[in-house]
Amino acid sequence: MSMTSISTPQVVAGADKAQRAGERHTGWLLLTPAFVLMNAVGFFPMVYSLYISLTNYNPTHGGNARFVWLDNYASALLDIQFWHAIGLTFVFVTLSVGTSLVLAVLLSLLFNLRYPGFFLLRTIILIPMLITPIAVGIVWRIMMMPDLGVLNYLLTLVGLQPLLWTSSSSTALLSIILVDIWQWTPFMFLIVFAGISALPKSPFEAAAIDGAGPIRVFFSITLPLLKPVIVIATLLRIVDAFRTYDTTFIMTRGGPDFATDLVSVYLQRINFRFFDLGYGAALSWITLLIVTIIILIFTKLSGFTRIISEKENR
Amino acid sequence: MSMQHDAIRRGSKAALAYALALLATAFFAFPIFWMFTSSLKGDEIITAYPPVWIFAPSLQNYVKLVEDLGIMTMFINSSIIVGLSTCLAMISGTLAAYALARFDIKNKQMIAFEVLSIRMLPPIVSVVPMFILARWLGVFDTYWLLIAAYALAGLPFVVWVMRVFIQDIPQSIEEAALIDGCSRVEAFWRVTLPLLMPGLAATMVIVFMFAWNEFLLASMLTSKAAKTLPVIAANTLNAKSIAWGMASAAGVVMSLPVVVLVLLMQRYLVRGLTLGAVKG
Repeated sequence: MSMTSISTPQVVAGADKAQRAGERHTGWLLLTPAFVLMNAVGFFPMVYSLYISLTNYNPTHGGNARFVWLDNYASALLDIQFWHAIGLTFVFVTLSVGTSLVLAVLLSLLFNLRYPGFFLLRTIILIPMLITPIAVGIVWRIMMMPDLGVLNYLLTLVGLQPLLWTSSSSTALLSIILVDIWQWTPFMFLIVFAGISALPKSPFEAAAIDGAGPIRVFFSITLPLLKPVIVIATLLRIVDAFRTYDTTFIMTRGGPDFATDLVSVYLQRINFRFFDLGYGAALSWITLLIVTIIILIFTKLSGFTRIISEKENR
Repeated sequence: MSMQHDAIRRGSKAALAYALALLATAFFAFPIFWMFTSSLKGDEIITAYPPVWIFAPSLQNYVKLVEDLGIMTMFINSSIIVGLSTCLAMISGTLAAYALARFDIKNKQMIAFEVLSIRMLPPIVSVVPMFILARWLGVFDTYWLLIAAYALAGLPFVVWVMRVFIQDIPQSIEEAALIDGCSRVEAFWRVTLPLLMPGLAATMVIVFMFAWNEFLLASMLTSKAAKTLPVIAANTLNAKSIAWGMASAAGVVMSLPVVVLVLLMQRYLVRGLTLGAVKG
């Protein structure tokens, strides 16, 4: 804090205390539009949602909402369908983000060889993350048609058994995970590649002199040096994977037989098909709590806060 | 002998690398190729088996999008909503970022993390209260609602990324302008802002991308008048016999602006997407 006040211009300009107070006012003035936006559109609806979650509000029931205290939260704890959705989402996030991360690191190592033409290929690989998720759902649904889809055609072409993809409850979850991996590996690849490109040369030269093999170099030099970048990419990906909705909505709507009933799809059904808004609000608060705990555990284990504060103090 | 051996080894390493790189590119590019070609096929060609690779391309699906579905209206809706929300996020966010980067404010760190927490908030949580409040305030199915919601969603990107960009500009440049008799506003307008332009453009593209592609809030907070492109594209799948060709064409129309913009602005993409945490 004292460092920043020394380096602010009013000290250089030879300002007194009064002027500095004026500067502080200007600072707050500049923050005001963002604060208004945050409170009016962000904070206020959230508080309101907390209130709704304590009522049995349902607009299709006409009458007024009754205050039911923690009834909604109590029913949520016994809602098997909800915990099924939470469990599925957890599997979805773990498999999708885990696989994306491994693929992203492998792709980064490969493209870091920087042969001619690799830049173009790298740019093409970025495109999936830019496609509107609804469009992603549409094209994968076309490709995954069990009888007529091009994926089964390609599978039979190389002598494999065709799959039922999203039409069977045993492969549906893996199918939407595949789509998620396809769309978001480019995101992690982009970030990890930036990290690999910025690595210092000297540790690798030292390792070469010591005669360390490529696998040893990867695990004891590359990976530790890349850790901050990997942690940031993974954290952002986890946050977004938990809210996955669009592609699943297009491809399966949670089916078949609830095999892809991710928590966002389930909440959506409670809220906007049954209009059980009080209960839905309670469920979303529980979901938010679970996601926050998982993210906190991840940041703790990965040393994320340390990475960020090191950046802040640089 | 050993030199020849080395050359062979290097050559086979390069061949292997090219093979793997092409395989990876094929995996990521194929669905995009399929979406694009499907948008140029009639529905009977899309559902033909085995798949048809060579066909006479037709713009029929795009014509139907405009004539039957009236997609121009949604294109205009999307453009207005995303354009205004992006501007709102950019202006309020950049001002806040400047305050956090340059002014001596109490609890700076806490404010920054409060802004960041918006990035963590799933829209599925905020959609219910927004739905109820919007009906109550009479802004349901209007531009204003989505503009406000998307501006909020863009805010953490702008504040965090622009803060890093502003910190990267040496303060001495502004101080020199102040000593030369510029006011604080003039110093910002004439000296800092021009230097920030690349950063602003890069951040804007990312805020634009997230708002343009957003579906959940758009589908729940609009019904007719303020419908955006992703909502109408999702609707094409609701009909009894799904118009695959039209759906693909809608996918292409939606995705094209983002793909073009982002590929043009690739330079600061990493920094923007990681909210300033990783330099690209």
